[in-house]
Amino acid sequence: MKYNRKIVTVLVIMCVLFLSIFVYLTWFSLFRADDIKTSNYNRRLWEREDSVLRGTIFDRHGTELARSELVDGGQKRVYPYGSLYAHVIGYNTRSYGKTNLELAYNDYLLKTESIAEIIQYGMDGSQMKKGCDLVTTLDHGLMETAKASMKGRSGAVVALNPQTGEVLCLFSNPSFDPNEDALTKNWSELSTDESSPFLPRATKGLYPPGSTFKIAVAAEAIESGMEDYTVDDGGSVRIDGRIFRNAGGKEYGELTLARGFKLSSNVLFSQLGVELGAPRLKNAAERFLITKKIDFDIDTSASAWPYDGNMGKTDLASVGIGQGKLMTTPLNMALVAGTIANGGVMMKPYLVKSAVSPNGVTVYETAPEALATAIPEETAEKVAGYMLDCVESGTGTNARIRGVEVCGKTGTAQNEREGKDHAWFVGFAPKDDPQIAVAVIQEYSGGSGGSSCAPVARDIIAEWLE
Amino acid sequence: MTSETSNIKPLIYIILLNLLGAALISIQYGGVNLEAVILTGAFCVVSIVSYVVVYVAELGDPYLFLIISVLGSVGCIMQTRIKPEYGIRQLKWFLLGTACYFVIMLGYRFLSRWLTKLLPLYLGLSLALFIATQVFGKTSHGAKNWIYVGGVSVQPSEVIRILFVLGLAVIFTAPMPEKLESKVKIKPRLLRLVTASAVTVVSAAFLLLQREWGITLLFFATYFFFLYVYGASRLYLALNGLAAAAVAVIGATKVSHIKVRVDTWLDPFADASGKGYQITQSLFAIGEGGMAGRGIGAGSVYFIPEVHSDFIFSAICEEMGVVGGLAILMLYFVLVYRGFKIALSCTNAYNKAVAFGISFILGLQTFIIIGGVIKLIPLTGITLPFVSYGGSSMLTTFAACGILQAISGMKEELTDEIQ
Repeated sequence: MKYNRKIVTVLVIMCVLFLSIFVYLTWFSLFRADDIKTSNYNRRLWEREDSVLRGTIFDRHGTELARSELVDGGQKRVYPYGSLYAHVIGYNTRSYGKTNLELAYNDYLLKTESIAEIIQYGMDGSQMKKGCDLVTTLDHGLMETAKASMKGRSGAVVALNPQTGEVLCLFSNPSFDPNEDALTKNWSELSTDESSPFLPRATKGLYPPGSTFKIAVAAEAIESGMEDYTVDDGGSVRIDGRIFRNAGGKEYGELTLARGFKLSSNVLFSQLGVELGAPRLKNAAERFLITKKIDFDIDTSASAWPYDGNMGKTDLASVGIGQGKLMTTPLNMALVAGTIANGGVMMKPYLVKSAVSPNGVTVYETAPEALATAIPEETAEKVAGYMLDCVESGTGTNARIRGVEVCGKTGTAQNEREGKDHAWFVGFAPKDDPQIAVAVIQEYSGGSGGSSCAPVARDIIAEWLE
Repeated sequence: MTSETSNIKPLIYIILLNLLGAALISIQYGGVNLEAVILTGAFCVVSIVSYVVVYVAELGDPYLFLIISVLGSVGCIMQTRIKPEYGIRQLKWFLLGTACYFVIMLGYRFLSRWLTKLLPLYLGLSLALFIATQVFGKTSHGAKNWIYVGGVSVQPSEVIRILFVLGLAVIFTAPMPEKLESKVKIKPRLLRLVTASAVTVVSAAFLLLQREWGITLLFFATYFFFLYVYGASRLYLALNGLAAAAVAVIGATKVSHIKVRVDTWLDPFADASGKGYQITQSLFAIGEGGMAGRGIGAGSVYFIPEVHSDFIFSAICEEMGVVGGLAILMLYFVLVYRGFKIALSCTNAYNKAVAFGISFILGLQTFIIIGGVIKLIPLTGITLPFVSYGGSSMLTTFAACGILQAISGMKEELTDEIQ
């Protein structure tokens, strides 16, 4: 009939309308829902919170790091170690929201949806439902050691298993007590405190890497066929009118790349930076994801390559020794050490091993995965050799442990405060079967990496290998 | 044998769906309600008998009632889950609706000869209902759209929309009475357009007075596509489109009630605890449901105001997941598609127009309310056919589908008649 053609057109319009719902709803559910759900207006968040006893968070050996207790009419989150885990586990409060693992794994901590449990709770309505427990990769012993070894200085200690990416220690100082009562009491003071106790330094603190960046520069030089690079080190060198000095103005004479690395010669590495040029220096940082945001269980700071296009010679020389405008996080530097340890492959760092339901069913498990292949194995092997020398007989001797081949690199990073350099040490051990990679930073310590940070790293490594 | 089993299969699914729903809800409430069991049983029996009757007596498209049964099942399950009393009442409405379906179907078949001559009745009845709403109407949620008849609340616009389709179909397809044609010196085509426009303008005026913006859109779109199918000039279509756009723009900028709807559509979180409360709660529900849903009875659908009527789709998404919601959407689409198919294969001009109009309204209504609750388009209060709680929506949608059923079964008689 004559109207059918137009009716078909209307049917097609109807198809488009229905299809638009189909597409929009799918898009919403896949890409928008997760953001929207976390809104404070979502009463389901608090509803679940009230009806489910939040799961416990354990360290790798079963030590309770956070638990929920029933108090009259509700529940209370208890952090038995106070400020020690505030920058890893975070806090869970009504007034201030959630942070870190409490936020990232909220769904699991409140998850009660296995069939067996629904039936079990269906039978007995009086019982309070329980969320899943989290088993983290952290080692409480290492955290305590880090705290003791840092002696109250501002900074961070990161330790991880280079072969799997398990984060063993993630210590940041200063910190704060995440228990709700303490938080309520101290909030205004904490938020205006000039030492920024709310800044999780290990994951979000951005620092110039200083000489620890020489690991990346050395790797890039080897990859560029400049392994045999030598300079005559007279204690300082003038580049484009600016003078680059060795620490303490020491003169080392004829230097190879390996020896320059071990002694942390700024004369060699500043000239090497100029020699390598901007694209390769940038590549050195990019290989180790120093310019990227690291995908991690909790939020990390992203650092971008700070130069656009034109780098002057002084810029190149500065970056060559880890100064200049390039910044990175302690977590990232621990990953750099871990990458050298693991034959050039950077493993994705993670904090949560598994989530386990109250009935003992593992509902979530993290499998180690590679994040990036930074450099070939032979190059990693060579750099590891340099790092071993550095600890055996170079700037990092304070990290030596009897009977263990410790590899490392010290760093002393100038910053906006004159005479108050940041001290760094990154390293791993043992050389042939690396079990632990470490990064230690002390802010504005004024001391050198070798004197103030290497002992902290030694304590951590020694305890872990024990 | 194979064909027989394949015809029985859908019924098994419907029964299974109801049993599962009943079981889940029993677990949730920790008990079994005898009345609910009896009504669910009755529901299954009615679904089976209706299907078999349509199938065996060859009353036309056998799929219509099957789809309606599934939608009705989901509706009753969700209503029971929200509040058991709602579910029981919804089941009763469904059973009554089924009766209505067959009565209307038979009525339409037997009265088909006279239907084209009843234009004054359609228009008069519509006008009476409009006036009654205006005079006796109760205001709910910003719209004056309910009247109480003997203690039962009725939404007259639900009935009027069927009369509107029946009326438009007469206007566009019935031959002009000779008397009129000789008396008025006007081309029949123009006369049709003018009459249809006048009827629509009057209806829209009443609806806007009652602040029924969603239903106004429904009426206007139906009229507009009737114009399109029945050959109005592009100019006339464009003029109508412009007029509607002008009304929409004036509404969206000058009428506070509509302005709020548009604002909360653009940014519901600007006032998430106030004006945007309903839509944000709906989005939370859908978001929390995810793809697979939280399970029937395991969601928190009671946070959404009006969840049992306009927002039932959000509840379905929270508990049955987006996958469940999309499955329901597909059922509506198949229902609308069957309706269009009936219109396309119909040889009687009047019935074709009626089938087209009903299918169009059914489809657009579904789009407006689902699109509204998922924030694809601004929210306007319209019920979701067969699933939203409420008797007048249930009965009138059943009546509309009863007409479709009648038309689908009338093909041959009418072909004979024309020949």
